[in-house]
Amino acid sequence: MRKIFCYSLVLALFGMSLASCQNDDTDMDDIIAQYQVEPQAVELDFSELAEAPDVPVTDEADSAYNDYVENSPWNKVIDIAFDGENATVTGSVPGVAVQRNGAHLTIMNISGPVKFVISGKTTNGSLKFYGDKRFQVLLSGADITNPTGAAINNQGSKTMYVVLADGTVNRLKDGTTYAMVDEEDQKAALFSEGQVIFSGKGTLNVTAVGRGGIRSDDYIRIRPGVKIYVNSSALDGLRANDGIIVDGGVVNIETTGAGAKGVRSGGVMTVNGGRLIALSAGDTRTGIDDDGLMDTTACAALYCDTLLTVNAGVLKFRATGDGGKGLNSKGDVNFRGGTLLAVATGTRKVKKPKGVKLDGSLAIRGGYFYSYSKRSDPLELGGKLEVATGYSTWDMGPKAITIAF
Amino acid sequence: MLLCAILVPLQMRADDSGLILNAGASHKIKKGLNVDIEAEFRSRNDFRTADRVSLGAGISYKLLPWLKASGGYDLLIDHNRETITYQDDDVSYNNWRPSYWGLRHRFNVTLTGSYKVRRVELSLRERWQYTYRPSKVINNFDFDEGEWEDHEVRGKGKNVLRSRLQAEWDIPKCKFDPFASVEFHTTDVLEKTRFIVGVEHTMKKTHNFKLFYRYQRVNGHGSDDEPNIHLLGLGYTYKF
Repeated sequence: MRKIFCYSLVLALFGMSLASCQNDDTDMDDIIAQYQVEPQAVELDFSELAEAPDVPVTDEADSAYNDYVENSPWNKVIDIAFDGENATVTGSVPGVAVQRNGAHLTIMNISGPVKFVISGKTTNGSLKFYGDKRFQVLLSGADITNPTGAAINNQGSKTMYVVLADGTVNRLKDGTTYAMVDEEDQKAALFSEGQVIFSGKGTLNVTAVGRGGIRSDDYIRIRPGVKIYVNSSALDGLRANDGIIVDGGVVNIETTGAGAKGVRSGGVMTVNGGRLIALSAGDTRTGIDDDGLMDTTACAALYCDTLLTVNAGVLKFRATGDGGKGLNSKGDVNFRGGTLLAVATGTRKVKKPKGVKLDGSLAIRGGYFYSYSKRSDPLELGGKLEVATGYSTWDMGPKAITIAF
Repeated sequence: MLLCAILVPLQMRADDSGLILNAGASHKIKKGLNVDIEAEFRSRNDFRTADRVSLGAGISYKLLPWLKASGGYDLLIDHNRETITYQDDDVSYNNWRPSYWGLRHRFNVTLTGSYKVRRVELSLRERWQYTYRPSKVINNFDFDEGEWEDHEVRGKGKNVLRSRLQAEWDIPKCKFDPFASVEFHTTDVLEKTRFIVGVEHTMKKTHNFKLFYRYQRVNGHGSDDEPNIHLLGLGYTYKF
């Protein structure tokens, strides 16, 4: 009996040892799967976009009335045709003086609304406008490269209507170094002290190697039908100090400079339609500030200094550099409709890459909102997240957030 | 005692429980000089998970009738527990290193003094052991990066002084000799304490069996996050 007990005990203990084959790790499979989720694709898209008819505002009391080129008379016309190192100016308008230095033209306009029709190609030319009158630049197959500054530079404070002639492809390119003039700014390949209103059904390709791509010290409006592509290896792709309004169009932007923003709006930004895609590939810019302290500026595909309102349209942002944000705002975001994809896949050596980073609050009341960060939080809010009732998807994963109506 | 060994772990769920099985052989070269080898298996996680496999060899010499010196080497094959670290919010994951098998080399030098009081033999064993863990590259999941990455567990050595006080009873006409001991593992602080009770049985002076219960209390000072553990042990030694 005792032997049987002993043998049974030995067998039981060896049996227990053989049964010790279970892993005691925490089951992480499902959790890790959430962290290994791949982002939705964000790529430049030059395909045609079906858009609703662009109906100009006709009410003079409407604050946007003067943003419509159709609301001004354009019977005063000057043609400028570039040809290599030269430019031919045809037509004259009282109150408009054109100075020519090779293919570099300086135009003083005190006449009122004047249309400048630009065509031809130059590899060493530019257009600079002075005067406090609104004017139209009709780009009709223009290809302007200025090795020493901006290709188009408006020093006047009034509206510059940039109209892209139907079916034309236009190119602007700046130089790696800018020859500066005292008391004057030139901050981009296409620069304006005043408002810039894009319209027409043509294409504008901007290459920036010295400074920004398109910049206004006032605001920028982009109307349906426009096709804009900006490639900036230096500073911001598209920037306006007092706000950006996207009513439509197809806008593709690529930036690779350290600390550069694909799109930057210093004022309220409103998106009412169109397709805006910005890819930022630059790393965080580091330097020393005036106090001798380390100063770091991360890239962002879209950066807003204040409110962003999205009513409709497709917005896609992707940042791939160190610490780059898909969407970075100092203010609130009011998302009422459309599609917004913000993806950050960069490293986190200096700054943390986030899909969406807001100092303010995020209100989502419609549309499709998606944010992703491969190496940090997909969404960081200084304020609160407010999602209206009626949503169909509200998925808050550790790397991706989807809220859809 | 066996009942206690089984019931106590069930009542104290915070502690772990496991098994120790060892088998060895001891050869007497000449009077007072022995060599021995041993293989051991341990489990944890309430007997469900393998914890360690080890192989060892040693030599001992009786310097005096009451004093024995010994030394040995053990190759330890550890199933290291997983580690999880968290972000500053103590909620979000930071890193996860799954459990992995790794080697350690252990050397020891031991002095054992014994004194017999009637039928009770008291012994004090002082053992210095040095354990070296070679570096090893293992897989580590970085939740920030969202990907697996290689992580080097650096090699390190550790010195421990193990002090064991044991009493063993020789009960007349009983083939089982009970024993009890307490052992302290000390580095610069007391790291863990082992309490052991068991019985020993020798058949024909050749086959030696031990059945014991060990409670190991960890004091939380650099003991690699080991929990307290109840262990049920069975040992066999073939002497020749």
